[in-house]
Order: sequence, then C-alpha cells, then structure tokens
Amino acid sequence: MGVVAAPAQEKRALSFLADLSQALAVSLDLRTTLALAVERIADFMLAEAASMFLIDRASGLLVCRICAGPVDITGLKLEVGQGVVGRTVAENAPQVVLDAQRDPRVNARVDAETGFVTRSILCVPLATAQGPIGALEVINRRGGGLFDAADAEILRVIAAPTALAINNAQLAASIVEQTRIRRELELARSIQKSLLPKRRRDRFPLIGVNLPAHEISGDFYDYFDLPDGRIAFLIGDISGKGLDAAFLMVRVASLLRWAGNDAPAPSAWLRHVNVELCKTLQNGRFVCAVVGRYDARSGVVEFASAGFPPALLHESGQFHEIGADGPPLGILAEADYAEQRIELGTHALYFFSDGATDARDKQRATLGAQGLREIISRHAALAPEARLRALIGDLKRLDLVDDTTFLLLQEPRGTTMQNLLELTFPARADEMRHVRAKLRAALDAQDVAPELRDRLVFAVDEACTNIIRHAYRDCPPGGIALRLTREHDMLSFELRDEAPCVDPTSIRPRDLSECRAGGLGVTLIDQLMDAWRIEPLPGGKGNRFVMRKQLTKVESE
Amino acid sequence: MNNSINECVSETLGDYVLVRLKGEVDLSWSQQVRKTILAALGASNKVGVELSEVSYIDSSGIAALVEGFQNARSKNQQFGLVGVSKAVMAVLQLARLDRVFPIFPDLDAARAG
Repeated sequence: MGVVAAPAQEKRALSFLADLSQALAVSLDLRTTLALAVERIADFMLAEAASMFLIDRASGLLVCRICAGPVDITGLKLEVGQGVVGRTVAENAPQVVLDAQRDPRVNARVDAETGFVTRSILCVPLATAQGPIGALEVINRRGGGLFDAADAEILRVIAAPTALAINNAQLAASIVEQTRIRRELELARSIQKSLLPKRRRDRFPLIGVNLPAHEISGDFYDYFDLPDGRIAFLIGDISGKGLDAAFLMVRVASLLRWAGNDAPAPSAWLRHVNVELCKTLQNGRFVCAVVGRYDARSGVVEFASAGFPPALLHESGQFHEIGADGPPLGILAEADYAEQRIELGTHALYFFSDGATDARDKQRATLGAQGLREIISRHAALAPEARLRALIGDLKRLDLVDDTTFLLLQEPRGTTMQNLLELTFPARADEMRHVRAKLRAALDAQDVAPELRDRLVFAVDEACTNIIRHAYRDCPPGGIALRLTREHDMLSFELRDEAPCVDPTSIRPRDLSECRAGGLGVTLIDQLMDAWRIEPLPGGKGNRFVMRKQLTKVESE
Repeated sequence: MNNSINECVSETLGDYVLVRLKGEVDLSWSQQVRKTILAALGASNKVGVELSEVSYIDSSGIAALVEGFQNARSKNQQFGLVGVSKAVMAVLQLARLDRVFPIFPDLDAARAG
C-alpha cells in the first residue's frame, strides 16, 4: 500500500476538493458552511465521525467547534499537546492512529464518558502561514477498515482550503472588531471635543486648541464669562494617557468649571478643587492645571498654576516665562497656590501642556522650550487664530508623544490690517529703482502726501541698500522680501532677508553734526520713521527689519 | 529696468568743470558718479555738480557728493551744487547737509562762486 492514492480515488478526491473549495470560497456564513463541510468530509473519508477543533485565542485551548457523527463533542476543550488533536497542533503534523484502544496518544476519557468506541483516528493540522489554527479529525473507517497513509494525505489536502477559509474569516472578524473599537473611540473623542468650549468670534481674547496624541485626550481647556464682565479660563492635563485619563478629564474639567463659576481668586479656586480631588483621585493619579481671570477693561490677567508648565509671555520679540508654581492637584490636600498678576497690554500669553515641548523630531529629540519659542516667533506676525493654526501645523509635522493643548490669551488686534504691497526681489542694487517705483505707487494709492511718500521710499531704499551692502557682504546675495501693511493710520514696512543674522545692537544711528559719508542710512531711517527694529529670524539665518510710520490726518488727506 | 535715463557727464566750460547728473542716483551706479566727480576735481579747481534733473538720490549718492566736497576743501578747490532739485534738497535737508554744501541756483551763479 503506497502513500499515493489510486487513480480513481485521486480523481474522486480532486472533484471533492474542488467542490469543497468552492463552497468555502462563496460562503456567506462560514459556520454553516463548515458544519456542512465537516459532514461531507466524514462521508467522503468513509468515517463514522469527524470533528474540527480551533484554537481559542483567549484561552489558548483547542475547542471542538464542529462535529459530525453519533456523539456530539462540540465545546470539548483540549490543551495544545493533549491527545491526538492536541499533538497534531503542537507538532503541526498529521497523526494516524491505527489502534486507538492501545495507542498512548489517545485520550480515553471521551470514550469513557460517551460510550463511543474509537478504533482508529486520522488527524491533520489546519495550517496557516502563522502556524496551525486548529485540527481536522476523522474517526473510525466505516465497515471496520483502517485508515491508511493515502487517506491521511487526502485529508491533509482537504484541510488546506478549510484552514484558508477559517483564517480569512477570523482576520475579517478581527478587522470588524478593530473597526468597531475605533468607531467607539471616535465617538468618545467627539463627545470629549464637544466638552471643549466653542471658538468665539466676538473679538474674544482667548483661543484654545487640543491635539490628542491618540484618539482621546487627557488634556482640557475651558473659558467662560463671569457675571462681573471678566473672563475665566482654565487649562489642564491629567497624568497618564488613554481611556482612564480621558474619563477623569471629563470629571476634572467639570469640577474646575463648577468651582470657577462664582469668580473666586485663582489661588482659592485651585485650593477648592484640590481638596475635592484629594478625596477621590486614586492610583497615584494627579492633575496639572492653570486657572485664571482676565479683565479686558483693565488688561490685567491673574492666574495660578498647579504643576502646569510656566506660561510664556511674548512681547515685541522677547519671551518671559511666568511660572506660578504650586503642586499638582490631587496630591496634597493642604497645598497652596501662588498667584501671578500681569498687565497683558497687546502681548500674547501662551499656556501649553507639556505635550507641546515633548514633541519629537525624526531623531527623537524633543522640541523643548527653546524650540517652541522659535516656532512661536516664526508666526508672531500672524493674527492669533492664524498663528495658533500655523503653530499647530508645525507641531503636527513632529511626532506628538503626549496630548498637546494650547490656550492663547491676547487682545485681538484691529482687523483692519491691510496688505498694501508684497514684493520679493534679488538683493541687488539695480533692483532698487523698480522697488522704489512700486513702493511709490503703493503709497500714492493710500494718498500719502508726496513729500512724506518720498521720505518713506528713501528710508526703505536705505534699509534695502544696507542689506545689500552689509548683511549680504560675506555671502552669496539672496533675496529681500518687502511687505507694506497699513492698520488704521499706521504704516508698517517689513524687510526680510536670508543673510547671516546681524547683531541688532551694532546698528545705531550716528550724530549728524559731523559731515562724513558713511553710516547715513540708518541715521536717516531713525529720523524718518516713528519706530524701527532689526531682529534675527529664528533658525540662525535671516533678519527682519521693521519700520513704522504713523500717518497724521493732514498727511493722509 | 530702464537705466538709460540715468546720466553722468562732465562738461568743461573754460576753467570750470560741470558734472551733469540725471535720473535716479542710487547704489547701482553711485560709484560711477563718485569717480566722475573725483576725476573732475583732478582736472579743474572749480567743479560743480548739476542736479536739476535728479529725481532721486540715496545715501550712497550723497556720500559721493560729500567725498567730492571734502576732497575739494582739503585742496582749496571750489566745489558747489548747481540747480538742486526738490528731491535732492529734501535728502540734503534730512542729512543736514543743505548748509554744508555751497548751493547755487544756476551755472552763472556757480561760476561766479
């Protein structure tokens, strides 16, 4: 008796295999199709019984999922390695048992419990690329004969499309499960987002943004009007990430909001919430937060911090870190919180969770406080909302490892800023005639009196020639970008270059009483403009030269 | 850019050399202006720079005039600005040079010194 089946048997096997494969492939209900398939396999193999065991992912046990024959063993559980089925899976190899009553591999318990007499067994693994996912077993050849090696080979061939169909179905099911979980997380995220305050358009001085590192966030912010006309705000960060932090966030955010409703001083506000959280927070959880009040009439902002990163005050190119440190909430019931009080003026005050400075670049280096300042400086010229958007855009290009939240407090600037001229040109002297002509036309369009117009053109021309002669002196000439804007009666001339950063302190007007040729440009600019300043662009390259001139009524009419 | 309307020519009128400037005197060609003025001072002890058709002058152009003036003074030469346009006068005033240079309304006045 050889391993190769006889031709007639082989032909029959092939046609059975084709039918089986097709039935599995087109199945809409794999469980029913498999039940039918196992019955047909039993018939085809002339077996008294057949069963299919699959590995249960949760328990790691082999569980009989489908069975055909006189005894129903569906639900029977075996360890991998236990009995003939267990061994088939453990060894990922077919097992042939010719005398079940004497074979040590056979588990006699089933027979004892069911009264069924097992004489011979064929068992093959349901093999996939990731290893066996179960086994297919046939028991007792009908009519008392024995299974042989050819039968084992046929069963192995039959098992292949069966394994494939089950594997596909399991993958599909796990994808469905993942999709379901993702959908639920998205739902949780949108519920969470709905707890954040709506953006307000009424020249409201606060804007917040929250970027979760994963689907949901442990960060939060809020702002609301107080009865006395002031605005209350809060921003916080729950320790830890994931679902439990997110649930806690919902609770803490409501608690802070509730405690802030009757406009307490920031330190008292934090104390109140801290006592409450100390009673209920568990497992070493804590909360970092800032709460504050802003009075638009006086421009005064007061805030207190519980373990939150220091706020950044950005004013005319300078950053000031403002810490108001107390311990995080939920740790020490008797904790006290210091208050900060600043005059906001036209400056921008940034509160941000530590996710902002923890953002990583491709080399896994953290952005850090300095990096964040550079990003803020880069977009400082933009209006608050556009600036925050640009800032977030830059952060998103990095890898956010933690939830990241910003709250920006700044009085909205006039919305009347007009762009009058934007011009980029090579830093060459022969470009200047054209630039002057453009600038003249732009100023004429604003009805600037000719005398003043010529002076302003002169000042800008001097600034440009300084860039051409001095800034680009030791490097290949790059470009100059000129921007002329007007806000109410204030004209702003901004020049940006790509030259090495100059030391702003080295550029000073000189005394005009001495008659000499050099250094006249800056002196005249100083005389002509109301204000001017030079600052290096972030990133170690380029300079920004801004000049301002207020048009008086007479001059503009 | 049409630089053809920029012009810088020396005219010799007896013992007087008149440097006639036209157009917009800026960094792109102020070196040429400077050289022309210094050359004129090398050729004559009486030099004037005619500016009535100068519609713009930047500080590098002013520097060329200052250098000519200082050069002349150190050698006791006569150096003046002739027919100064409004645009040039505005810059001279800004730089407080309007009382430093001898300024003449026309060539006759300049030649008369």
